[in-house]
Amino acid sequence: MDETREKKMTIKRTSKYKSDIAGWLIILPSIILFAFFVWEPLIESIRLSLYSAKGMQTIEFVGFDNYAKIFNHPDFAAALRNTFIYIVWSLVIGFFVPIFLGVLLTETVHLKGFFRFGIYFPNIMPGIATVMMWGYFFRPGPTGVLNILLEKIGIEPQVWLTNPSWTIPLIILTMTWKGAGSTALIYMANISGINPELYEAATIDGASILKRVRHITMPSIFSLGKTLLILQVIAVFQILYEPLIMTNGGPNNASISIMQLVYNYAFRDFNYPMAAALSVMICLVLVVLSGTYFKITKEKEY
Amino acid sequence: MFFEKYNKKTDGTIRFYDLHSTKTKIMCVVIFVLCLGIMVFSLFPSIWVFLASFKDIKEFRRNTTILPESFNIQTYIKTWNDLKFIQYYINSFISVTGCAICAVVFNGLLAYGLGVLKPRGYKIIYGLVMWSLLIPTTTSVVALFVNINRVGLNKSFIPIWLSLGANAFYVILFKQFFEGIPKEFIEAAKLDGASSLRIFRSVILPLSQSIVMVVIIFAVNAAWSDFLLPYLVLGGSGKETVMVRLFQFNTSNATDVEVLRGVAFSIIPPIILFAIFQKQITLSVSAGGIKG
Repeated sequence: MDETREKKMTIKRTSKYKSDIAGWLIILPSIILFAFFVWEPLIESIRLSLYSAKGMQTIEFVGFDNYAKIFNHPDFAAALRNTFIYIVWSLVIGFFVPIFLGVLLTETVHLKGFFRFGIYFPNIMPGIATVMMWGYFFRPGPTGVLNILLEKIGIEPQVWLTNPSWTIPLIILTMTWKGAGSTALIYMANISGINPELYEAATIDGASILKRVRHITMPSIFSLGKTLLILQVIAVFQILYEPLIMTNGGPNNASISIMQLVYNYAFRDFNYPMAAALSVMICLVLVVLSGTYFKITKEKEY
Repeated sequence: MFFEKYNKKTDGTIRFYDLHSTKTKIMCVVIFVLCLGIMVFSLFPSIWVFLASFKDIKEFRRNTTILPESFNIQTYIKTWNDLKFIQYYINSFISVTGCAICAVVFNGLLAYGLGVLKPRGYKIIYGLVMWSLLIPTTTSVVALFVNINRVGLNKSFIPIWLSLGANAFYVILFKQFFEGIPKEFIEAAKLDGASSLRIFRSVILPLSQSIVMVVIIFAVNAAWSDFLLPYLVLGGSGKETVMVRLFQFNTSNATDVEVLRGVAFSIIPPIILFAIFQKQITLSVSAGGIKG
């Protein structure tokens, strides 16, 4: 009796092993891709950042020399400062616009499908095309599109991006134009999911419409807002195309971003180790931010 | 007329019972007008691209008007031919097709493994995938570029295609969907003696057409718009995609109108894609919270 039972167990075990192996074989190609495109480059970044190199050939271990060089690089302070300015402006403009849009669009009953279409439309525009297009709008001089429009209402032409204190807000405006629609749709879905009885109860208690928005809608989307806020900061940390194409970091480094500095080190100066060292630093910041994100989304579940 | 539809409104703050007061009625109209204004703001820039690119260069530099003097399609065709855009379109289509296939096959298989097969120890891989969701690939693009050169895959479409096969977002999307497929279907196929791979092909995929569609749409749009990796890998190989060409305008001596027409050419395919699939796209954005 015992023998047959053991046999059965072994058969069961081997079939379990077999299906385990089959399972691993099926996901193996994808794992290799993830390793090649996502995980290994992270490790390679760390390794590369600790070496000196000629082109792509690493020469010798130099410890943290590349990191020290970055801190002493004149552009680094500018890029770091700009990153904070980017984040502040993206909070001022980028964070509240989608909430406003979401609340507003929920309150309409006409043309809702069209509004959804229109609000998401900028999101499908390719990033490069978007920034090149806005470049025409922000062109200084009388042929810039915004200046043409301003002229119609009798306002002097502006210099837009070439004014250092306007550069970053305008870049953030461009990003918000492109990204706000998809975030607004997420808020809209969230707002639609609020229990209607809450509103009815509040109305019976005599709460005005604005009071209902303030005391029911806002608290309900608060946790989603926290999550999206962190995702937004993560995205802002990696701004690259916008300053690269619209201003090339100028005027006088007023809009250079950290990722653009990585790009310059690697593909303008061909100094791959320094670029890798800066990537590693950005990555560390992002890991901390992502950790916070996970913590917040976990809390939400309970 | 305008207010009748509010009777059916069940979400948001304003309800039919609020409409007794004139103030609320005015508010509804104001909101509607505001939304129309927002539409102008989000749609006008792209419309302007098409309007202004009908201008010729003299008109573009001199005239401070929004509308062109005439709509002559010939100028468009001339730029299309002068800049050999057909070649970049072909390159982009090759790149996009491969990317879409890789996005479905590799992310789908991984999601199938993590969501359905669950071989022993799969949780480690799942954890790694979840983390890569938030460590964006742009930060390690330098090391990736160096690696691609080391294995000799530069100036080839292969790394561009395969890069879409390692996308944590798509894996999560697939996984959530696959987990919702009733287990009976899979068990029944197993009893019939189907292998795991066969079950994926003839049970899972046919039942998942809607999510496959969504991933294809997003992958196509992402691949069409992607620029950094194609620029680094394909630059100077004759395989440049439309986006790479667009970026090269930055350092070329093309005229303003030619660049503008290039922008127009580059946004036509995404606009067509969105016009056809806008329902699927906006719905899945609201549901899954995908950031484009």
